[in-house]
Order: sequence, then structure tokens, then C-alpha cells
Amino acid sequence: MTTAEWELTQGRGPVPGKRLAVQAERLVKQYRGRAGTVDAVRGVDLRVGAGEVFGFLGPNGAGKSTTVRMLTTLMSITSGTARVGGIDVTADPDAARRRIGVALQEAGLDPRQTGRELLVLQARLFGMSTAPAKNRAQELLELVELVDAGDRRIKGYSGGMKRRLDLASALVHEPEVLFLDEPTTGLDPASRLTVWEELRRINARGTTIFLTTQYLEEADQLCDRLAVIDGGLIVREGTPEQLKTELRQRRGLDAQPTLDQVFLDATGRTRERIAGEVQEVSA
Amino acid sequence: MTAVQQANVLGGRALREALRTPESLAPTLFIPVFFLIVNFGQAGKIFPSSSTSFLHGQTYAAFQLPISLLLAASFGSAALYLVEDIEGGYFDKLRAAPVSRSALVIGRLHAEAVKSLFITTVLVVLALPFGVSVASGPVGFLLLLILTSLWAVVFSGFMQLIALKTRSAAATNSGGLIFFPLLFLTPNFVPRDMLTRPMEIAATLNPVTYVMEALRSLILQDLTWTPVARGFGVVAVLGVLMVTLNLRLIRDYD
Repeated sequence: MTTAEWELTQGRGPVPGKRLAVQAERLVKQYRGRAGTVDAVRGVDLRVGAGEVFGFLGPNGAGKSTTVRMLTTLMSITSGTARVGGIDVTADPDAARRRIGVALQEAGLDPRQTGRELLVLQARLFGMSTAPAKNRAQELLELVELVDAGDRRIKGYSGGMKRRLDLASALVHEPEVLFLDEPTTGLDPASRLTVWEELRRINARGTTIFLTTQYLEEADQLCDRLAVIDGGLIVREGTPEQLKTELRQRRGLDAQPTLDQVFLDATGRTRERIAGEVQEVSA
Repeated sequence: MTAVQQANVLGGRALREALRTPESLAPTLFIPVFFLIVNFGQAGKIFPSSSTSFLHGQTYAAFQLPISLLLAASFGSAALYLVEDIEGGYFDKLRAAPVSRSALVIGRLHAEAVKSLFITTVLVVLALPFGVSVASGPVGFLLLLILTSLWAVVFSGFMQLIALKTRSAAATNSGGLIFFPLLFLTPNFVPRDMLTRPMEIAATLNPVTYVMEALRSLILQDLTWTPVARGFGVVAVLGVLMVTLNLRLIRDYD
């Protein structure tokens, strides 16, 4: 049975008939080094419908960032195929790049430029001439509420401001799919809520969001569907409610479990309270 | 947008970056001027212009000026800023845009060439009080500017190779030190025919020698095409080699 067929029978996939924004089949990434070959991603299948907010969860080193880097043309694919916006990312990477916006784990910004200059440059690189690029930069500064700071150099921005600017720069060309790799890591709670608000607004405009995060509350709040990756393989997939219900029924729990419990179950980990501290240990 | 336009946009950003960090430009000017003054001060009396035929009537500072020009042109910051972009994640942002891979590396080299035009002009002006003039005239001065800028592209291209391969600021910084042996294995104090035999062989094998001799010829003599053509030939071959290797690395960059 193919992943698509399984998703259909289980009701775990994107809404049937919906156009797919992201599709990966048997995606593999191997790193070859002096110490041998490391399998970072071992055959990932993914289907994300247009307009969805899709959460991609997993422990450190599970293959989340590697998968995102392959889907966004930043890393070569060892085997398998990946299509974004219907475009094969290996066969036509430039066409795929025109359809995606990318904000990676570290806000990739040039500290010596002003926020406005960075957005204008990004717009120019996506083919806009100078005047439309300046207009677009102004629109985006308004969208992420950075108009007042727009003419200041980025090195003076706070972590939250940098994240919002990074988001804005990923949106400069109005991408079909926005890839966000841990967009709120390191942010204070207030900045995190601001980013969530931005993401809801962006998604409401029709942009598909593919999000990796280590914050399960974030995934619960934002995502329509989730996949959990562990050891380079997808180990769970479905809506947050489906995943919780499936765990409740399988374990015979009285109450609906949290997404944390789903995650720990999916990745073969348990929580033990040792000396008053919560620690994660392998099962 | 064509790859050339993209390279121009990225080159403009690199120039803005340089203008906003004047502290990185200061050593590029100071150290070559320091070398000019010290070398002229130490050997100026040994080689008086009146009785030293290879000076063609100019002071020893004119003989030394090409070394300072090459030194300045080899102090480009393109590779270090590239490593900063890589480490900070901005390089991935650029790679995720539909930008020609060649523009990503050529943009910065383009900026280095423009910076070198400016720095070379300043160094020549600073050398004037030491009795230096460009004997080959305005055309020669133009050729001197172009040749020095092309050398800046070659050396920055080499440094970018280290940056792209190692993605490490420390390794890139250390890689720049290779220029010092290259600079000193040249006829930097006297013409090639006055060197000891082993040194003459080393200088003959060293491509920097031909660029230096071309610059020297433009400063000390009327336009003499043979050494100038040799200098341009060397930067052309090395330039093509560096750009080709840069493109190969950026295309395979994971």
C-alpha cells in the first residue's frame, strides 16, 4: 500500500482532491564521510495540501532540518523525489525557489544592512525592479510591524525583531509554500505569540506553511496536521486530534493525552521524574 | 533578471558592507603604505635614482610601489564576509532564492575589483610625494588600475575557494597568509636578473612575478607591451581558473 493509499484509508492525509503543495516520496539523505555513511533521512514520504499548516516534529538529530533543506533545494537528495508547488526540486530548482519562502533555524540576516535594505535586496533577487521592490519592502515592514525599525541596521534588532524580519524576507515574492525551521526557538513568550499571530495571518492569505518545531504546544496551536520523524523515518502522521485519540484508544487512557505524550510515545521515549526534575530517557 | 544583473545587485551589497566597516579598509591602506615607507627608507640610499639603471630616473619608491599595490589588492575581505554569511545563515537565504549560482560568487569578486580601483588610486596618490610618477602616462595608469583590480579578483577568488570549502573563518584567515611567501619569492627588492640563481628560478616559476613586473614596467617606463601582456596573461589564466573552481564548488555546495 502506498503512503497516499494509507493516508486515504486512515483519513490521515491532506483533504482528498486538494492540490498538493509539498510531496516527497522515499526521500533519502546519506552523508558520506571518512567514518562511513550516515543515513540522516531514510525514506520519508510526505504529502502536504495547499493552504495547510503542516507541523514536522522530531527530537534533535531526527532528520527534520535535513528534510527541510532537501525540500528547499539547499541540500542535494541522495534518492527519492520531492516536489514543491508541483515542481521537482532537483529537476528545476530555480522554479521551485520561486514558489517557496524559507526561514531557517538561525534568522539568516545580514547585520550590516537595514531591515528595509535587506527586503529590497531580496525582492530584487526575486526579479523585481527597484521601485516595486521598495514598495514591497514597505508592505512587508508594515505586515511584521517593523516600520519604525526599518531604517536601522539589523545588528541592533532584538531576537524577536530578527525573526519577524526573517519571516518578512521569506514572504517577499508571495511564495506558495513557506518553510519555517524552528521559527520561535530562543524567543521569549511574548515574541513567540507575535510570531504565531504572523503565521496565522500569512496562512489566512492562502500560503501553505511547513513548520518544524520542538515546541509541542506550538504545533498543537498552529498546525492542521503533523508528522513525527524519528531516526530519519516518519513514525506518526495525522491531525493533532487524530494522534491524541489514537494514543488514548491504544493505551486505554481515560483522558485525552497531550501532544507531548503523543510525541514521547512516537519517539520511543518516556518521562521519568528523577530528583524533582523531569528528564527524558530512552524507553 | 540576468546573472550579470544579479551579480551587480550582490556586488552593490558587498560594497555597502565594506563602506559600513571602514575599520576593515584601514589596514588595507595602512600596511601597504607602511611597506612602501619602510622599504624605501631602508634601501633608498643603496639604490640612488641617479646611478641605478633599473629605476629609469625615478626613486626606489617607484620600484617598491607595485609590492604595495599587490599587497593591498590581496587584502580583500570578500572571503571573510562570505564565511560570515555562511556562519550566520544569510548565505542559505541567498541560495534559497532563484539567483544564479555564478552571481553568488561573482558578486563579491565584482565588489573587490571596484574596491581595488579606489585603493590603488589612493596608494598611487600617496606615493607621489616619494618621487613616484606613472611613466607610461594616463593609458598606463588605467592599465595599472585594471591589472591591480584583476589581481584582487584572482586572490579574492582563491580566498573564496577556501571559504566555500572550509566554511571556517579561522581557515580562511590562515589561507590568506600564503600571499606572503608568494610575494617574497619575487624580484621584490631588485630586478630578476640580479637575484641569486635559486631565487631567480623560484621567481620565474611564481606567477606573482609577472604581475609585479608588469606593474613596475607601467610605473617606471614608457608603455612596453611585452611585460604588460605577460602580466595580463597571468591574471587572465588565474582569473578563469579561480572563477571556474568557485563555480564548481558553489554548484556542489550542500
